[in-house]
Amino acid sequence: MSDFKMIAFTSFPQYQETFKTPVFEEDGDEMDLDENGFLESDELKLAWPGESLTSAQAYMRGHGTYVDNDEVIASVAGVVERVNKLITVRPVRTRYNPEVGDLVVGRITEVQARRWKVEANSRQEAVLMLSSVNLPGGVQRRKLESDELQMRMFFEEGDLLVAEVQAFFGDGTMSLHTRSLSYGKLRNGQLITVPPNLVRRLKSHFISLPCGVDLILGLNGYIWISKHVKENEREGEEGFDAEAVYSNRNDNIDDSTRIAISRVANIISVLASYSVPLTDTILLEAYEWSVEQEGDPKDLLQDHVGETLVTTVTARG
Amino acid sequence: MALVSVSKAEKSYIQAGILASPAHRLDGRSLHDFRSIALETGVAPLANGSARLKIGRNPQDGSGGTEVLAAVKLEVENVEGGTGGVDGGRIVCSVSCSPSAYPNISSGALDDLQHDYTDVINQTLSHPSLHPANLGILPRKKSWLLNLDIVVLADAGNIYDALFMSARAALWDTKVPRTRSIEYKARKSGPSAKDKDMVGGSGDMDVDQDTVSGFDTRHTSGAIDFELPDYWDEGEILDGRNRWPLCVSLNLIPPAHFLDATLQEEASASIRVLLMFSFASPGQPTLQGMRMLGPGELSMASLKALIKEGGKYANEMHSALTSKLRDEDLRRNQKAREKFALGNLWVYIKCASNPVLKIITQLARNGLYGRASMEYRIC
Repeated sequence: MSDFKMIAFTSFPQYQETFKTPVFEEDGDEMDLDENGFLESDELKLAWPGESLTSAQAYMRGHGTYVDNDEVIASVAGVVERVNKLITVRPVRTRYNPEVGDLVVGRITEVQARRWKVEANSRQEAVLMLSSVNLPGGVQRRKLESDELQMRMFFEEGDLLVAEVQAFFGDGTMSLHTRSLSYGKLRNGQLITVPPNLVRRLKSHFISLPCGVDLILGLNGYIWISKHVKENEREGEEGFDAEAVYSNRNDNIDDSTRIAISRVANIISVLASYSVPLTDTILLEAYEWSVEQEGDPKDLLQDHVGETLVTTVTARG
Repeated sequence: MALVSVSKAEKSYIQAGILASPAHRLDGRSLHDFRSIALETGVAPLANGSARLKIGRNPQDGSGGTEVLAAVKLEVENVEGGTGGVDGGRIVCSVSCSPSAYPNISSGALDDLQHDYTDVINQTLSHPSLHPANLGILPRKKSWLLNLDIVVLADAGNIYDALFMSARAALWDTKVPRTRSIEYKARKSGPSAKDKDMVGGSGDMDVDQDTVSGFDTRHTSGAIDFELPDYWDEGEILDGRNRWPLCVSLNLIPPAHFLDATLQEEASASIRVLLMFSFASPGQPTLQGMRMLGPGELSMASLKALIKEGGKYANEMHSALTSKLRDEDLRRNQKAREKFALGNLWVYIKCASNPVLKIITQLARNGLYGRASMEYRIC
């Protein structure tokens, strides 16, 4: 089919051993913190889970730490930060911390009584109540018992949806809602996952790229890339067409759109692997650069192409 | 298998993409493209052979992808005494999955999954037709038990191909220690009833010599134990390392099939055909095993065509993997030599004052350093 080799092997990168064993000053008085406080200089300190950081008597434990045996100990791997007497560890990799009003993309994992459980890359599964979705037959309709019995007509296990964080329950679980015409079930595209801290809060998380691709940047790091749907063709403008809103069928997607979707997906995964925060301008520039190169979307997955992409885009931005 | 859930819309998007002409996959690959595969052998210093393999890892930060670690450990076992040992050695494979590889499934389901993987690997690799010739130590007495353990560290699709490739790499890397049989014999000069002591010095111990004692009336060969003639030597390579099978997973969305599926693609394929090919000689794949996974069905005619196609893919995988394994051998030899050179330098510095060792270091510099340093260490 192609002239490329079907299969290719590479090597793992050979890391230099640059770890320095920490030097403990045996003779120094450990309690003498006034003279030699913890993290007084501006050095960058990394911590492993379980690493003892400092004395708990002189410092307070913050996020990412716990106290054991009068010592502040890191509970995650990350960068140690100190604000006055408060020690925190900012983790390298983290789950999504929801806030009310955030736009998230999630996947239904369970259908329960009057609610769905939604996986949204958070610590706990989110909840979508039947009362917080748009029901067919008008936005202001009261929910009926028959709706409860046919909840799988709206969302079933595995379905992807875009929603907004509405509130929190007592245990910190987030409650979602899809009571807007732009929220709801997702189709006509593919999902790509990035670390949640790479998605910044933007004016709008619905992005339309000029190549006929729509993007939904969920703040939880789930990004939905789909075929562009014209504003006036959106379902439910008038009369709220339930068939269309909760449909599982894709529209016809032509080749060029498919290629564009793959290209955007690969660009996002390359940018994410270089920890470049995703904004609409960067994505647009990256897409233009990639089209200029006249390559296949899969070329982006090669090391050197990805690297050039990132250097070009970050230099411009 | 519900390792990952996909919505109906995603599924039909993937299926429509595969069936379109030209076919489009989510990441823009064509149907028979593999993701890049990173491979390293000799990753476990205490194993007799090991390999680490990662399919589709992100080149920059190394995240994502299917990652497996395979290690071979040889163990001496008695053939007699009901310990399960078999004359000529045996092979036992096991696959275990790290819970972090499958965070969404319960521990019971994880056990089932491990069992499934183990089954496929074990039944294919421990088949008599692939049995290596040099796993025996003493006929009818002792043999090597080859334990092949594979750990799945992450699964991003195409796990069976990864398992078999890593198994092949680890077995390729395996070195079997050389052994020499020992027998006890009565001393020729003077009848002595008592058996010779092992620690009694070299004169007491006849090693593999055909001199038959007049007092020896036994019919069996006298070998009752073995020794390692050269402790520092890694051993010889496992016999038949070119034969070890590879698996080709064909994911079917009839009439199309594709290779190296991601988890989402696997969930969208109606049926998966695993074809295990061994290689009696390079370029000559022989079908060693076959599995079908998934709810779909397949006609005989299309199955035949698939096996034929699969053979071609296996050939390509085989040649690519073999050349990579040779590169790895080369790289590690290079590394070992560098380490060795450093070690010799240390010998030289440390022993410059000692006249005996000076000679050894001299020898070392004259190119005989293998022997010399070995003897030094014994000193």
